[in-house]
Amino acid sequence: MICEQIHPGHWRLSFAEPEAGFLIHVLARLRRHYQEDVAQLPPALRAYWEGRMTRGQVSDKNELKEAQEVLSEARAELRSERQALVENWIREYELAEERDPWKVEISSAERDEFVAMLNDRRLLLALELGITEQDMEADPGQISEEARRSAILEIDVLGHFILVTLGPQIYRP
Amino acid sequence: MSQVESMLGAMILTTIRRGIDEGRDGSPLPSQIFEGRDGTRVPTLAKPGTETSPDIDVEEKLKEAFERGWSVIVWNDPVNLMDYVVYVFKAVLKMNEQDASRHMWEVHQKGKSAVAQETREKSELIVHRLRGFGLNATMEPA
Repeated sequence: MICEQIHPGHWRLSFAEPEAGFLIHVLARLRRHYQEDVAQLPPALRAYWEGRMTRGQVSDKNELKEAQEVLSEARAELRSERQALVENWIREYELAEERDPWKVEISSAERDEFVAMLNDRRLLLALELGITEQDMEADPGQISEEARRSAILEIDVLGHFILVTLGPQIYRP
Repeated sequence: MSQVESMLGAMILTTIRRGIDEGRDGSPLPSQIFEGRDGTRVPTLAKPGTETSPDIDVEEKLKEAFERGWSVIVWNDPVNLMDYVVYVFKAVLKMNEQDASRHMWEVHQKGKSAVAQETREKSELIVHRLRGFGLNATMEPA
């Protein structure tokens, strides 16, 4: 995968055929996830989508009740927006005449949406399987449980896509 | 604004507040006490027969609206990438690379970092945006 800036605020992503195939598979899974009713999701995923406004002590218990409700509604809207976004990406791929490499041109705002959407999939996989920091630091080859190993590999590959899309960000004096 | 002007401003505001809250001698203004139908005495700013607004503590509301009394906290998690977190801090909180990296390391090493201190409304907005990127963000009184 390559990410090039074509002019300020615009980017071209190029995916080799296996990368594009993998990405479309991930997007199809995400589409299915976004279509699901939040109330029917496992508790960890439900908590992710409902959000939590605070963890600390708040003097008045009802103080953030309204804010919590607004957050949950906003998260539900975000799911619909992400579903539409995923469908656009899949449609783009289906209509593309050239798929090796598959090239997509995006704006900065679309780039943000793209990485956030890929990150959704990483976080959802981790929540679904209870993946910990130790799991993420371990050699995936040493993980015997297949579903867990495959989830960690997917999380890693999507992480690579995100880093290629954004480029290095950390300040190194 | 000169010191004299700001003093004058403070005096005018104090006078207006006193005019709203009480008479010159500190006692409630006549219009503030109104006898209800059952004979109880109801405090109100309006004269009997005029429409009244809810008894809102304006000062408290204004204070809350303008005070940066809420912290936005970002919590550590096992999946979000360091470079991604720095990118999100720069994009959402308009931090420079150095500050964004410092906060990212704080999240990574200490488990959390207070990334903003804002009004309640703005803090809520920041929490929404950070969560949109998948960061575990919450808010609490500063």
